[in-house]
Amino acid sequence: MHDQLRDMVVAGTVTIDGDAVEFHDGETIFQVARRHGAKIPTLCYDDRLEAFGGCRMCVVELEGSRNPVASCTTRAEPGMVVRTRNEALDAHRKTLLEMVVSENREVDVDPLRGYASQELKTLVEEYDAQAGRFKGAQSGTSNTDDDNPFILRDYDLCISCYRCVRVCAEQEGDHAINIMNRGFETQITTEFNGRLKESACTFCGQCVQTCPTGALGDRKAMRAEEDKAELKKTRTICPYCGVGCSVDLLTKGDRLVGVQPAMDGPANKGALCVKGQFAFDFVQHEERLKTPLLRGEDGNLHAASWDEALDRAAGGFSKALEKHGRYSLYGVASGRAPHEAAYTMQKFVRAGTGTNYIDNCSRA
Amino acid sequence: MTITANQDLVATWRDEPAPLLPVLHAFHDRDGYLSDDALRAVSEGLRIPLAELFGTVTFYHHFARTPGGRDAARVCTGNVCRLRGACELLESMQSDGATAMPCAGRCDEPIPVLRGDQVWVGATVDVLERRVSPLPVANPGGLEECVFAAIREPDRASLEGYRRTGGYEGLLRVMGEMTPEQTLKLVGDSGLAGRGGAGFPTGAKWSAVAEAEGHPKTIVCNADEGEPGCFKDRAIMDHDPHALLEGMIIAAYACGAQQGFVYLRYEYPETFERLEQAIVEARAAGFLGEDILRSGIAFDIYLRRGAGAYICGEEGSLLNSLEGKHPFPRNRPPYPVTHGYDQKPTAVNNVETLASVGPIVCNGADWYRGLGCEDHAGTKLICLSGDVQRPGNYEVPIGFPLKTLLHDWAGGALQGRTIQAVTMAGLSGGFLAGEDMDVTLDEPSVRSKGSFLGAGGIIVFDDSRNMVEVAADAMAFFAHESCGKCFPCRIGTHRIAERLRGNGGCESLADWRAEVEDMGRTMRATSACGLGMAAPLVTDSLLKYFPDQVEKHFGS
Ligand SMILES: Cc1cc2nc3c(=O)[nH]c(=O)nc-3n(C[C@H](O)[C@H](O)[C@H](O)COP(=O)(O)O)c2cc1C
Ligand code: SF4
Ligand code: SF4
Ligand code: SF4
Ligand code: FES
Repeated sequence: MHDQLRDMVVAGTVTIDGDAVEFHDGETIFQVARRHGAKIPTLCYDDRLEAFGGCRMCVVELEGSRNPVASCTTRAEPGMVVRTRNEALDAHRKTLLEMVVSENREVDVDPLRGYASQELKTLVEEYDAQAGRFKGAQSGTSNTDDDNPFILRDYDLCISCYRCVRVCAEQEGDHAINIMNRGFETQITTEFNGRLKESACTFCGQCVQTCPTGALGDRKAMRAEEDKAELKKTRTICPYCGVGCSVDLLTKGDRLVGVQPAMDGPANKGALCVKGQFAFDFVQHEERLKTPLLRGEDGNLHAASWDEALDRAAGGFSKALEKHGRYSLYGVASGRAPHEAAYTMQKFVRAGTGTNYIDNCSRA
Repeated sequence: MTITANQDLVATWRDEPAPLLPVLHAFHDRDGYLSDDALRAVSEGLRIPLAELFGTVTFYHHFARTPGGRDAARVCTGNVCRLRGACELLESMQSDGATAMPCAGRCDEPIPVLRGDQVWVGATVDVLERRVSPLPVANPGGLEECVFAAIREPDRASLEGYRRTGGYEGLLRVMGEMTPEQTLKLVGDSGLAGRGGAGFPTGAKWSAVAEAEGHPKTIVCNADEGEPGCFKDRAIMDHDPHALLEGMIIAAYACGAQQGFVYLRYEYPETFERLEQAIVEARAAGFLGEDILRSGIAFDIYLRRGAGAYICGEEGSLLNSLEGKHPFPRNRPPYPVTHGYDQKPTAVNNVETLASVGPIVCNGADWYRGLGCEDHAGTKLICLSGDVQRPGNYEVPIGFPLKTLLHDWAGGALQGRTIQAVTMAGLSGGFLAGEDMDVTLDEPSVRSKGSFLGAGGIIVFDDSRNMVEVAADAMAFFAHESCGKCFPCRIGTHRIAERLRGNGGCESLADWRAEVEDMGRTMRATSACGLGMAAPLVTDSLLKYFPDQVEKHFGS
């Protein structure tokens, strides 16, 4: 979106914090200001979604307007004079944060819960919002008995930003979750307020990753909450299919503990499917083979050395090729294998047999 | 019910304009609640994802989701009815499954009780009766009226009676002698401004719709009248429904619109029947349909019934509701005049605004302007209720002194009492008290006191009332009706209500005040729509006029 806009014709100039800034047709004040380097806080905003205007954290002062305006939903117009930060705005933002904090059980959640889970906490610290003001009833009821292995629905921490609902509808197209009731009673729900398993949910995990409070948690990653080792992220490509979604593998020590979609992944922009998102347990599965196995005369499999195994395989391939020709061999690489292994396998087939009889099980 | 029967029911509405609400009502009426199967059939038939439909249905408080829910009694526990024992009435009916509902728009009568399609009124169970809503009394000041000028004519509600007493003359004149441009100019020159709350000049609104690109254009009559203490639109629709239709048809002619909707609140079932009948009559007489009065112009009106949600009176929320979407307000700009129903140009107007149009056309712009006091143009209906001798609807010239209305027209306070405070704009304008009650009924005057006139609801509280309790009830209403879209209002209305009911966990009055004021300031400045912006006026004015009562409340 951003790069496209940059190439478009300039539609006018606005003044942001005293500087004249050009803007493009359709850009919002928020987009122009951010491009200009202003840091406007948001909670209901997700770059990939239609601006919603719910959290009101992004309000800015607009000359000629009695009240501040939500910068995320207000289009830039020629001549606008905007201030993104001043004492009054800071006070409103702080009050809003204190109000939001007051409706939740806690703010400080483990980053393993999801990609955006630290957003609220970060803003609370930045604006020095005080916990303990505006005491009162908690909103949202956790749905922890939703016994699926992937998504924790801890709505005690929900701040009703509806990013989950909107990402499910606008990005995933599943419309599995929605908003029940209204006002302080609003609650994220599935059809008839049932479990995700019985809903239209495909467990893509996008709602989890856009939730700014950790109210939706990645249950698989959260298994490693007690592991005190440092959390590291490594950018790679999901091997499961041909789309090529960018992911960050989460590791603690030498353990793969979770997967997060890359918001800037050119093919996926933060989206994943259930496999890319959650299906990584095989990597460290205890039943995973640790040595090659060879079938013996007795018909059973026996542990063997790599040399023995490779000799046996090479022998088998050679025999087949000799007897039936090079088109008798067809390779299918596994989507669960690392990219390097897949590459080596196609090299083996192409260079070794001189055919293109090579494929991958994840040819989506 | 068989699956086929459900599908057939959906099919009767599927191809009608704005089908979701009527199809849900059809199931609600047939089954007495909205079953899972009904929602599945609607979801499939109208192609609305089931979770979304479920969420939307739960937004409206009158849609019942359990058998028998539709016909269980709802007792009005609005601010005015509470003064008359509504809580006791509710308690006496609770064993029969009665529940509370917010102000049901009959504040000029004993407590209304809604049972399915019927409104009953009465102070206690044994005297509940069904009756026609009150006709406005003759103007106590003998002043010339616009909207109510002919409403008391016998049989005015029927097409025949309406025509006999000058009805549809305005439309005939417009279509016979005037161009749409001339009509726009006339309405603009009259100074008519929105009577639904925001006061936007009607001529300018219509001109914007006429100029906007996109077809079909739509006229929406906002008959949601959800503001507590407001019951003027009901009086017009019950006793003069054709005046509303005539206004809409003139609007359609001026704006070039092809379709119209009346969005009527759920709590007015008898009014629904009256309007439905009026529309049928108007269609049969050629005032509506494919070829209005053989002019070649097509315009028709569809009646849609809400399902219990004050926010659906906010125009963006109303349009979303009509379109079958989750009824959150829309972000503005763009405005409905360019991006309204179905994202096409739309004029949303209040009932009173539209009902003023026929008389304005007949009598001229200058006549209408001249009805107001001094520089003010036109008249305003005021709904007066609460602790006053003669509650009811009064048509006053804009700029009329509030005190004259209260004391000379409505008889003043009840025996032995004095008036302590009044609300403005129903509840949305908060309170006026003391010398500030010396306002005149026009926006500049009322706004100079930090409030606003809005839709014209005025609730009177005498010196026997605890104003903190009154404020708590008012804030509880806003909390109940907050849509939940934006943070300041969703949380703020609830937190302030908690603070008005008790101390909200605050340790000192100073903390209490600081919390209430901080939230109020942020709600006013940052809320996404008028509900959240206006709600803190209740506490602002409470603190301004009744600091001693607040202190006493906190102390106890
Ligand atoms: C919370 C809220 C509730 C409203 N309820 C109503 C209503 O019940 N009836 C109405 O006519 N206008 C209502 N309005 C005002 C409408 O948004 C809109 O301004 C009006 O219908 C326009 O018509 P008018 O210009 O003829 O007044 C409400 C506004 C807000 C913010
Ligand atoms: S996991 Fe994906 S499909 Fe399921 S609710 Fe979340 S966003 Fe929707
Ligand atoms: S669950 Fe998370 S993303 Fe969804 S509304 Fe609540 S806070 Fe927002
Ligand atoms: S101010 Fe209240 S009613 Fe209006 S959008 Fe916000 S939450 Fe909804
Ligand atoms: S980011 Fe603008 S309102 Fe939330």
